[in-house]
Amino acid sequence: MTASQLEATAKSLRETTMPRWGMVIDLKRCYGCYACVMACKVANHTPPGVFWSRILKGEAGSFPNTVRQALPVLCMHCDEPSCMEVCPTGATQQTDEGIVIVEQDKCMGCKYCIMACPYGARYSVEKWESYFPEGLPLSPYEEFAKQAWEEKSGCGVATKCDFCRDRIAEGREPACVEACPADARIFGDLSDPNSEVSILIKRHRGEVLHPELGNKPKVYYLAPR
Amino acid sequence: MDPKVDGQIQTEWGWLVAIYLFLGGVGGGAYTIAAINGFMGEGLALSTRVGLWIGFPALLIGSLFLLADLGSPARAILAGMKPGSSWIARGFWIITVFMILALLHLALYLYTDIGGAVLAVIAGAGIVFAVLTMAYTGILLGASKGIPFWRTGVVPVVFVVSAVVTGHFTIMLGMTLFGEAAAMGSSLRTMALEAAVLVALEVLVIAFFLQAAFKLPDQRESAERILRRRSFVVGYFILGLAVPLVLMLVVYGSLAQDGAAISLPLVAVGALLGLVGGLILRQSVLVCGALPTLNIAGFQFRRVARPKQRKPSMGMLPPQ
Repeated sequence: MTASQLEATAKSLRETTMPRWGMVIDLKRCYGCYACVMACKVANHTPPGVFWSRILKGEAGSFPNTVRQALPVLCMHCDEPSCMEVCPTGATQQTDEGIVIVEQDKCMGCKYCIMACPYGARYSVEKWESYFPEGLPLSPYEEFAKQAWEEKSGCGVATKCDFCRDRIAEGREPACVEACPADARIFGDLSDPNSEVSILIKRHRGEVLHPELGNKPKVYYLAPR
Repeated sequence: MDPKVDGQIQTEWGWLVAIYLFLGGVGGGAYTIAAINGFMGEGLALSTRVGLWIGFPALLIGSLFLLADLGSPARAILAGMKPGSSWIARGFWIITVFMILALLHLALYLYTDIGGAVLAVIAGAGIVFAVLTMAYTGILLGASKGIPFWRTGVVPVVFVVSAVVTGHFTIMLGMTLFGEAAAMGSSLRTMALEAAVLVALEVLVIAFFLQAAFKLPDQRESAERILRRRSFVVGYFILGLAVPLVLMLVVYGSLAQDGAAISLPLVAVGALLGLVGGLILRQSVLVCGALPTLNIAGFQFRRVARPKQRKPSMGMLPPQ
């Protein structure tokens, strides 16, 4: 067996045994309470202005028959991530489980990946600024969060949602999923046809955002109506 | 909420990146024209000398602006380790090789008598990398999936044409500053005509770029934004394109008459305005880069960019 054949075999073995993490967001259930946004902030200690998990509000119809809808957005952990394609240093990588991550000690902070992500999932901050008005020192809570953030991601580099991979390693769900009071977010293994996420996507024809771009996102949405 | 005026634009790349792209274009354009003029003979020796002097420093200073924009500039060398991975990594090597060639060409041109085949080989390779540098500044944006306005094949064409124009104007400006008026009559006349033709070409390319952008909803927002910018309409269209075009035609017309005096201030003002226009073009294209709307099941979701707004200061707090 040649080296390339060995590598291909190892890869297929990994693919068959490794989960391929993905998420389903049921828009019929989401009422835009921002619990996921806050849970992400608490779990990941993101600095002011950085939202790995966000809620967008949209409208449809015309007056007086209009409807408002919330759209939770996070990193789509694409199978073909455009952020990874443009990364000049190899800092953006994909784990065997399909999670797109940034290795902070390799990132030079060029922000090219931010321009390449069609979902606006990436951020970069130059320095940690207080949530409170200028002139006030960081509160003890902010000092703690700043230190935790420096260890996890840091300033001057690209940052993004990592599906709470440290929680997954502990057998827990991502913070946004755990916090959702409406059970609108379902997390699971897309490679398992019997997982809840796979069944929901198949049964309710789960859609992805901007499928025409070819990124193959792993966050699926169930239509609100 | 008016979708035309909400904050759905990228805010990460601003003036520093615009100056980097501008100087990259100026360096590439000036070198290309200088090297081509070098093949043309002694009549264009001044423009060759000026252009060669501009190429290397423009690239060097431009690269410093990119370094200043990096969040972790100490790791910039990592971009050189993976040359095939990204357009920034490819640009790293394109610009590095071009800078070496431009510096070598300048040194050989100024300090040695080497001519003929050796200089021609270096100039030929230099032109290739200069063109790659000019195209790279546009392709860098064109490869960004997150900004539909940039993700078109026209952007590299716009940037290449603008790079040649700004390179041309830089040489003309340098000639007026360092040359002797009596010695550059015919070459300045030729360059004024070339500048007018190039500016007219840029007008056509920009018009095509913007009308094409108006056809797609996600790009249309950027096109509308750029046309609402006073700096773009006045600074680029009028002062950066129209006025230099008229001035270059006036210079060309006046020099066509035998014994006419060269109006160097006219040339310098036209060239300077053209350069400012080139910088405004790049800055406008960057800051008007609108993010794509996220649509699902008939709903449109605006993705609002992070506003870089000042936080309230202590003075704005209510009294305690």
